[in-house]
Amino acid sequence: MKKEIKIITKNWGQINPLNIDEYISAGGYQALFKFIKEMNPETALEEIKISGLCGRGGAGFPTGMKLESVQKEKSAEKYFICNLDESEPGTYKDRAIADNDPHMLLEGVILASLIVGAKKAFIYINGNYRKQIEILERAVGQARKKVFIGSEILHSKYALDIEIFAGAGAYICGEETALINSIEGKRGEPRTRPPFPTQCGLFGQPTAVNNAETISNIPWIIAQGGAAYAKIGSKKSTGTKLFIVNGAVKNTGIVELSLGIKLKDLIEKHAGGIQKGKEFWFAQIGGSSGRLALKKDLDMKLEYDREAQIPLGSGAILMVDKTADIHELLLSWTSFFRRESCGKCVPCREGTFRLWEIAKRLQDGEVSERDVAAIQDILWTLNNTTFCPLGKFAATAFGDAIVNFKTEIYRLSR
Amino acid sequence: MKIKINNKNYKAEEGELIYDVCKRNKIKIPTLCSTPKIHEGLCRICVVENGGRLITSCNTKVSEGMEIMTESEKISKARRINLELLWADHAGKCVTCKKNRRCELQNLAEDQKIENFHFIPRKEEMTGKEELDLLKDNRSRVVVDEGNLAISRTTELCVECRRCINTCPTKEFGFNNRAGDVVVGTPYEKPLDCIFCGQCVKNCPTGAITDQNNLSKIIGQLDDLKKMAVALVDPAILETIIFEQPEIDSKEKLIGVLEAIGFEKVFDLEFGMELALQKMTEQIKNSGKNNLMLSHCPSFNLFIEKYYPQFKSNILDVDNPDELLAEFIKNQYASEQKINPADIVVISVSSCIAKKINKSQNLDYVITVRELGRIIWQKNINLKKSKNSDFGKELAVKDEKAKNITRTGGAAEIIAKKIRAKYIVADGVSQIKKVLGDLSKNRIETKIIECMICPGGCVKGGGQARKL
Repeated sequence: MKKEIKIITKNWGQINPLNIDEYISAGGYQALFKFIKEMNPETALEEIKISGLCGRGGAGFPTGMKLESVQKEKSAEKYFICNLDESEPGTYKDRAIADNDPHMLLEGVILASLIVGAKKAFIYINGNYRKQIEILERAVGQARKKVFIGSEILHSKYALDIEIFAGAGAYICGEETALINSIEGKRGEPRTRPPFPTQCGLFGQPTAVNNAETISNIPWIIAQGGAAYAKIGSKKSTGTKLFIVNGAVKNTGIVELSLGIKLKDLIEKHAGGIQKGKEFWFAQIGGSSGRLALKKDLDMKLEYDREAQIPLGSGAILMVDKTADIHELLLSWTSFFRRESCGKCVPCREGTFRLWEIAKRLQDGEVSERDVAAIQDILWTLNNTTFCPLGKFAATAFGDAIVNFKTEIYRLSR
Repeated sequence: MKIKINNKNYKAEEGELIYDVCKRNKIKIPTLCSTPKIHEGLCRICVVENGGRLITSCNTKVSEGMEIMTESEKISKARRINLELLWADHAGKCVTCKKNRRCELQNLAEDQKIENFHFIPRKEEMTGKEELDLLKDNRSRVVVDEGNLAISRTTELCVECRRCINTCPTKEFGFNNRAGDVVVGTPYEKPLDCIFCGQCVKNCPTGAITDQNNLSKIIGQLDDLKKMAVALVDPAILETIIFEQPEIDSKEKLIGVLEAIGFEKVFDLEFGMELALQKMTEQIKNSGKNNLMLSHCPSFNLFIEKYYPQFKSNILDVDNPDELLAEFIKNQYASEQKINPADIVVISVSSCIAKKINKSQNLDYVITVRELGRIIWQKNINLKKSKNSDFGKELAVKDEKAKNITRTGGAAEIIAKKIRAKYIVADGVSQIKKVLGDLSKNRIETKIIECMICPGGCVKGGGQARKL
């Protein structure tokens, strides 16, 4: 087996994350030096576009395209936001980045901000990540001392200020427009699109919002070139990805692998296989909002592909074995969305609530014919009429489970 | 540009909303959450189909080559499910609701032919534990606020359409909590303490925000033969009563109906307005001060008291027309007609909800157009058969123009003409804020300032019925 290329995790465990000098001696901030000396925002953007990097938060939108649309906006004031509001259940990759290599993230934020022309960047972090807020704040202080951040970055014409903004831990604030509302001091609710944040975002100015893992790739791309990055991974999606493997496997945790790896290989080669005495049932790909991969889907490639049946999402993979109680799972999914819906639109607010009630009844075996029809109706309206994608997410796993495990789910029912 | 709606070609302007194009061409699309200015698109009932995809018509702009369908199986399915979801914890509460039969949610359910609610188990299907849970759940989330004299709120009947949030000029309301626990409320659920302009009451589609009143007591007074009930009719309601009661299409008919429900006398409020104008003119004439503010908008008086107390002394000390007329009736009129003032009940039928807040000595009750509609309904009057009538001739006005006081700028214009003074008019809270801001910075030097909280004046007042 050929050695896996490490981009994001290369320093993990090797350096002291609280010390900027160790990061620099490990080759850190070289990309920033290179950018200041040899490049300009346009050429740097070109590298990112060549690299084929796409968003790691879940949607998989090409990062180059997003940064470009902000870069070409002619506004004196622009913002860059790093989305670290990680609240998908079972996803903790961004937290690990902040824990193990905050300066890589910071370098990425600085580079991305300079590329789009933002003078102010925010790192929007989940408020429950108290320790990581502390780490990042310390990192920003250290970088400021080294003039990596400030009014004259490395004594050049570039200027940037970074602010750590702690949200209150709402799931919906990971959606970019809701995140922007949150920073503006409004209720964390998605906005109507268009206008897109790239044209009219934070405080009405062009704003790029990118996931923390996406941004952490940028220093490597700038330093090594986009073409080198494009060689990693599969044809459809390039680069590496942090996969978070949970559930009934031997080795749970985060593993960085090239995109395009087969689910089967991930389980067998990198997660040590299914735990002894247990039998694989299905895997949920992409956190609570992810779809279910059954035995027949084990050959699927884990990559960002618009046409994929099962999208990769945030990269969280939950292995479920046959001992798991499907009713518990249904209840856990629905109670998550019933709690985390923002309450703005009717189908999501009321639909997730009723779905949760039905899940409770499913567990008690008190489901009637009416409920069976109601499930179909609610899932349909969540899929088709909600304001933002959260509604669809709420229906994904539940819908898959209903289709695939009908007998198990209605086993207890009258 | 050209767009296709239901396979027919229509012209549309750039940047126009689909809903507006449809409305202009008399294509009906049901909506719930949209207000004239703000379209949030959160009720998901105005959905239409564009190339097979469901989009909201109220906040999607038209674009070249759109092919819109406003009715299809998919659309009615979406509307049905979303309405049913709204109804799920609303069903069965209609009979005790003040808005019964005047409720937009009821109308929508009727339009969409919803006959059954699928999302809550029937009582016989529920276990005892569940029933208790449901009851607890519903109860724990309800906030009732009846701490003031004008507006009564209960979140039990709220469907979270956010119309009140979007129409409130002073931003009193907001969403509290999240997801299924969301309630519309004031910060920290403090009792409502606003300027009581009533726009939220007017725009509420259900019975969540209603007029605070004691209708049974008022009806008791009307029925009491010993009491002489006098109605004061605000000119501002003459044109809008038709939205509440389509059968009442003229002034004469309205007066006839008022007499039929038990009012012995019906007077035109214009007489009171004339009194108020005279008093205000006198005070302005005798005052050496500049920048005097007219006091006939009770909401504005509250607005100054709460947000700009430094200008409190600029407001004229004249009661509103209703109170002045009530005073006149209980004193002069009563002694002329040899009636014991204690036997007279003066009820003002008004377009203003803030008048309920004023502590008045002579005016007994203020009822809004909506409450009048409810009294008519409760008394079971046959509107078709009720005869026409006219205002009491005893209190006739000399100056026909006095009723202009109900529109913004009317009063200031009349007074300024009489005493030849300069004046400034502000219409709606945003304009008022601007004028008062200028005033704070001494940028304004005039004699009379007239401000009306409801944009357009009393005709668009908070006590009116909403035009559907």
